[in-house]
Amino acid sequence: MARRDNDIWWRMAWRNLWRNRRRTAITASALSFGFVAAVLMIALMDGMFEQLVSNGTRVITGQVQIHADDYRPERSMHDTMGGREGLDLAALVSAAGSVEGVTGVAPRVYGGGLVSSGDETAGAVLMGIDPRREEGVSRFGAAFVVGGMPGPGEIAIGNAMAETIGAAPGEDVVVVAPAADGSMGNELFTVSGVFRLGMGGFDDAYVLVELGSLQELMAMDRGRIHEVAISVDRTDQADGVATRVEEAVAGLADGLVVEPWSVFHEQLYFMTSMMGAANAIVAMIIFGMAIFGVANTMLLATFERRREFAVARSLGTSARSIVRIVVCEGLFLGLVSLGAGALLAAPVVVYFHEFPLDLSSFIGTYSFMGSAMQPLMTVEYSWDGPLVSAVALVGTGVASALYPAWRAIRVPPADALASR
Amino acid sequence: MRTERLWKIYPQDPRPVEAVRGIDLTVLRGEFVAMAGPSGSGKTTMLNLVGGLTRPTRGEVWIEGEEISALSDRRLADLRMQRIGFVFQSYNLLPVLSALENAEFTLLLQGVPAGERRERVRELFREIGLEGLENRRPPKLSGGQQQRVAVARAVLGEPALVLADEPTANLDSHTAEALLDVMERLNRTKGTTFVFSTHDPRVMERARRLIRLVDGRIESDQAASG
Ligand SMILES: Nc1ncnc2c1ncn2[C@@H]1O[C@H](COP(=O)(O)OP(=O)(O)O)[C@@H](O)[C@H]1O
Ligand SMILES: [Mg+2]
Repeated sequence: MARRDNDIWWRMAWRNLWRNRRRTAITASALSFGFVAAVLMIALMDGMFEQLVSNGTRVITGQVQIHADDYRPERSMHDTMGGREGLDLAALVSAAGSVEGVTGVAPRVYGGGLVSSGDETAGAVLMGIDPRREEGVSRFGAAFVVGGMPGPGEIAIGNAMAETIGAAPGEDVVVVAPAADGSMGNELFTVSGVFRLGMGGFDDAYVLVELGSLQELMAMDRGRIHEVAISVDRTDQADGVATRVEEAVAGLADGLVVEPWSVFHEQLYFMTSMMGAANAIVAMIIFGMAIFGVANTMLLATFERRREFAVARSLGTSARSIVRIVVCEGLFLGLVSLGAGALLAAPVVVYFHEFPLDLSSFIGTYSFMGSAMQPLMTVEYSWDGPLVSAVALVGTGVASALYPAWRAIRVPPADALASR
Repeated sequence: MRTERLWKIYPQDPRPVEAVRGIDLTVLRGEFVAMAGPSGSGKTTMLNLVGGLTRPTRGEVWIEGEEISALSDRRLADLRMQRIGFVFQSYNLLPVLSALENAEFTLLLQGVPAGERRERVRELFREIGLEGLENRRPPKLSGGQQQRVAVARAVLGEPALVLADEPTANLDSHTAEALLDVMERLNRTKGTTFVFSTHDPRVMERARRLIRLVDGRIESDQAASG
């Protein structure tokens, strides 16, 4: 049988679609609104993920980190990169900094110790930093209430700790910390500034010390560091950047591991994955309901046409061709809805991109898993959401037609012809 | 076309309906046969059995030397497409297709190229008075015109047999006569075999062979004056 006249089935499907214009218009509108809703929901979720991840990683950790392979999770001060010998710090920073997608590189040393002023003492996480480089990765630089980043021999403390121990910029504090050689480091530092990140666990515990000064206090050579925090231009590209950084720094020391935030920020990753999954389930429910709704309409339409299908079959039309007519109609319905939905979705997405939904009059800023959230629903431009929604929409059209198509060929032609 | 001890029993409450009861019938190539009988006598069932639209309970149906009652649905569809034309009482054109598209439907299924299809349809339309109506959709055609398109569709595939189930029942007598003229002419010029059912005496008169069915049996079978 020649098959080049296949277009008859498409023609019949297309014309069938427009036989009941009102019904088709209603169904297509419902589908296109579903499409717009899905596109917008995904865009808002993307914006929220971006905000969550960005807030969760831009405050301190960065989106990619380099460590010695045995550093995490114990974070022992002895597990510096390149072992006890350390490595060429300048080479490491410049190698990582020249990787595509990297916007900042900050080397760090961590220690634990006590900070005292007068009679007051507080336990502290000592963070040795390069003040200039830290600006490109963390928010400390922008968080100073008074003063600024520490220079050599200086220390910056959080506002909560400043209150506890009663220290102010310009005053001296004593820092005591176990050193890498087993001795007890003990040094006087001048407070350079007081910062406030506004997040629990940092403003009362973290103190910033200039990198070299902390290494000296902890009896560590200049080439010994615990961590390099890296910021990237797009948080969702962190995995790829991590891979490229790993390649770039591999020759500088043995046992370097480079990890994206999804690895070292497990909780955040878990949370966003859960939200993503919940989102996907909601989307599936939406399209699942759409499938039932549309299938119902198509079932009605094919039931109304059962005599026609029987006539076509009595003339020798194969069951497959009948299925093709019905499924094509579903496909056309999906495509028409998609066209309408795309026309509708474009301005909506542009609008919410230009004018984010500001919910701050309903809810204030809130902290979520160590990540400060703005009550601002932002929409990011992306092809992923619309593409997934488009496939789902057209899939809905086709899937909705399958059962009606099966019903259409199940009725013996003689019975359908006899029925009124 | 030939049937042997053909039975069709519809399983139904309270008791099964014996619509066709052991019919032996042979129709030769080129015959013009009317099957008459009151409503419920089994005419439609008989035509459906012969056309492979429904399967016999017992007995055999032979079309051009092939026994069809055991064929698969697919083979039956092919058989109808190649060798059988159907005309039904009503609603029997596909409403989304134009008169021409309806008429060429069987040719299209047979894989006849578009140019040849159109040519054959136009030629036949001229012959049966449908010229100029090629692009009309069925709702824009009169009942008589629709039935002529249906007859055109049935004969264009050059089937061994055209089965028409009360083709004139929805037509006024004048239009019915005109349709029979068309069928008769095609029977004569193309040699197409027609078997049509009717309970209209005036239509019976036009047949060259008249079979009377009563309660699923052949009551009489005689050559008519024609
Ligand atoms: N699909 C069916 N199911 C049950 N009974 C049927 C069916 N089709 C026809 N019948 C019965 O079979 C008998 C013959 O019907 P039919 O072949 O339609 O006769 P006619 O076409 O001569 O009116 C009638 O009694 C009818 O009620
Ligand atoms: Mg009947």
